[in-house]
Amino acid sequence: MAGAVGGLISLPAWANGWTTETVRSSQQLLSSGQAELLAELVETIIPVTDTPGAKALNVHKFVQKMVADCYDKSTQENLQKGLDSLDGLAQKSYSKSFAAGDTAQRTALLTQLAKSTDTAQKDFYSLVKNLTIRGYMSSEYVMTNLTHYQFIPGHYYGCVPVQAKATSQPK
Amino acid sequence: MSNFNIDAQALNTYDAIVVGSGISGGWAAKELTGKGLRTLVLERGRDVRHVTDYPTTNTQPWEFEHRNQLKKEVRDANPIISKCYAFYEGTEQFFVKDAEHPYIQEKPFDWIRGYQVGGKSLMWARQTQRWSDFDFDGPARDGFAVDWPIRYADIAPWYSYVEKFAGISGNKDGLSTLPDGEFLPPHEWNCVEKHFQQKVAGKYKDRHVIMGRAAHITKPQPIHFQQGRAQCQHRTICERGCPFGGYFSSNSSTIPWAAKTGKMTLRPNSVVHSIIYDEKKGRATGVRVVDSNTKQMTEYYARIIFLNAAALNSNLVLLNSTSHRFPNGLGNDSGVLGKYAAFHNYRAGVSAEYDGNLDSTTDGRRPNSPYIPRFRNVHKQEMGFLRGYAAGFSAGRSSHSDQSSVGADLKESLLNPKLGGWYVGSHMMGETIPKESNYLALDATQKDPFGIPQLKISIAYDDNDDKMVKDYQEQLTEMFTEAGFKNIRVRDSHASPGLDIHEMGGVRMGKDPKTSMLNKWSQLHAVKNVFVTDGACMTSTSTQNPSLTYMALTARAADYAVKAMKQGLV
Ligand SMILES: Cc1cc2nc3c(=O)[nH]c(=O)nc-3n(C[C@H](O)[C@H](O)[C@H](O)COP(=O)(O)OP(=O)(O)OC[C@H]3O[C@@H](n4cnc5c(N)ncnc54)[C@H](O)[C@@H]3O)c2cc1C
Ligand code: SF4
Repeated sequence: MAGAVGGLISLPAWANGWTTETVRSSQQLLSSGQAELLAELVETIIPVTDTPGAKALNVHKFVQKMVADCYDKSTQENLQKGLDSLDGLAQKSYSKSFAAGDTAQRTALLTQLAKSTDTAQKDFYSLVKNLTIRGYMSSEYVMTNLTHYQFIPGHYYGCVPVQAKATSQPK
Repeated sequence: MSNFNIDAQALNTYDAIVVGSGISGGWAAKELTGKGLRTLVLERGRDVRHVTDYPTTNTQPWEFEHRNQLKKEVRDANPIISKCYAFYEGTEQFFVKDAEHPYIQEKPFDWIRGYQVGGKSLMWARQTQRWSDFDFDGPARDGFAVDWPIRYADIAPWYSYVEKFAGISGNKDGLSTLPDGEFLPPHEWNCVEKHFQQKVAGKYKDRHVIMGRAAHITKPQPIHFQQGRAQCQHRTICERGCPFGGYFSSNSSTIPWAAKTGKMTLRPNSVVHSIIYDEKKGRATGVRVVDSNTKQMTEYYARIIFLNAAALNSNLVLLNSTSHRFPNGLGNDSGVLGKYAAFHNYRAGVSAEYDGNLDSTTDGRRPNSPYIPRFRNVHKQEMGFLRGYAAGFSAGRSSHSDQSSVGADLKESLLNPKLGGWYVGSHMMGETIPKESNYLALDATQKDPFGIPQLKISIAYDDNDDKMVKDYQEQLTEMFTEAGFKNIRVRDSHASPGLDIHEMGGVRMGKDPKTSMLNKWSQLHAVKNVFVTDGACMTSTSTQNPSLTYMALTARAADYAVKAMKQGLV
């Protein structure tokens, strides 16, 4: 079980759509250090505010699982390499580990990654960011509490006035 | 061999045998048992019971380990089936994995299959249009295949018959190219689709945009409640199996109905190897079956045999049924068995954007979309290609969020997507021309895991298809322009044949035994107690989806078969 990551402590009740069963990876892709760093990374991308952030929603486990199961070897290695180099970049930029940085420092670092001329670095970042967004938006918490997904709409209305808020309705 | 057991033979003898339990086999089972025949239904795949065997039917999006994306190992192991849009984490269990039943692509052909009780009826997209006389008399008019031995009038009552039971929603549009049926209420339009419909109607008198006709119960009738089915709830995850029976499948409808008669014996895991022909009796007496678990061969016997293994597999079974009398496949006196296979051309699409109707949007989901019936070469040959195409059409409102930032800003933007404009899309459904050079054959050496020769598929597009793609792209572009759609983009996927999943022919119907395999009752000219009523029997392919026609042809043939049996004709 890849579950050892953080011992799954105090999983809030609403996060139980991802049981230990569903977050188990078929292969252990990341070391525990890499996994912890990934958790900080996804939390920086989507932080806790008045609602839970990506880390509390276990998005880092989702990212790891997706890369382990659905991507090819070179992408997997790039994830590992990217994580390994992240702390080095943090040290260089603000002389601390990524995890020890404050929000502004972490954000600055991610902006730097996004603009990087090193394609491996850029790919690493866009992979993590895209999967973080996907994992967050398709988490049970977000779908049931924030975007109000309807499993059984029971209807289709073709022309309704635009409401204040759009809702996503994936399958 | 030697001490053949008479009791065992009696035990394995039925009034009728149906090979396959998919869309057409389900109807054969229902009709034959309903008329009192003790019927054995042989299905090569496993049993799939309505509701209980739909493992992902109630799975929420977040419960899928990979959010419905396929694992790499699944994709790598299944390059063919992975191309099918309906194959994803939630439906893997219903599709044949590439290694399970190998075949030879003499030319590239993506053969998409569902081997289980219910066949492909579990995963199909449920579009159901009648064919018209333009389709049935097309070959006679422009000479691209042999004449059909039937016309629309022969099959119209049978369309009505199957529509009422299956539950087909649609609007009565009064079009000669697309006869109306026995419809439940149609699905709803959205405003941009309506806008397009009106623009097209305003400009062209022979082009129409109508609501798709689909096998969904929009308003259940007593006959649907009797089947234990209920109103469609608009989940649009039908291909995982629907617990409401909201759409038609063999599993929710025909097979349980046949079971209720007490006359059906359903035998899953039974791969039919061939049909047994008795030269003394001059008729088929039964089938040879390989048990897919034990690989043991057993024989079953019956007065009549319905072959409903889906087009390519029905060809395979007949090609593999050789005897002194029929060295080239059962009933193959003409030599046309396996030839003139055809399909639908789904290669092209057109998409665009629309910035009108911005004050409205849609709510809910719809398991269906509008449809543009064929308008080319209908009344006369006007184009530089034979036949025509229909098209799917739909519109929806997009929403997007700025994903450039990170942190609280990104979160805010993700949770408050902005409504974008409307997007519109269309895909083509073209008729392809049955040709002798498009054929199916058995490989001389390579066998499948059941010891049966592998099927060799040699089917390709031709120049006619390319011309049709081009015309479709041009015409849809013109219609989209007329409607004020912007950013029009055309595409041609150049995908191999097969992904349309509408393979047909090889055992075609016709008036003349010298050029066809089946007569007007889908009965082998040369072996009167064998009926082929799936896609294999199709003389030409029309532009419409085919499955409703398989249902109607099957019900009609079963009715004839039982009458003929009683009169001692088969
Ligand atoms: C994703 C998808 C979308 C589709 N959309 C549409 C649509 O919108 N409209 C439409 O009209 N059609 C559609 N189709 C096609 C439709 O599903 C088929 O036309 C229809 O199922 C064919 O019916 P059938 O009885 O010939 O074959 P099937 O439904 O495939 O059933 C054949 C059965 O025979 C069994 N069998 C095969 N060989 C043997 C053997 N040797 N021994 C014993 N059993 C055997 C198979 O296991 C299977 O269960 C779609 C198909 C798919 C997969
Ligand atoms: S859309 Fe209708 S038929 Fe399809 S799964 Fe939903 S309820 Fe069932």
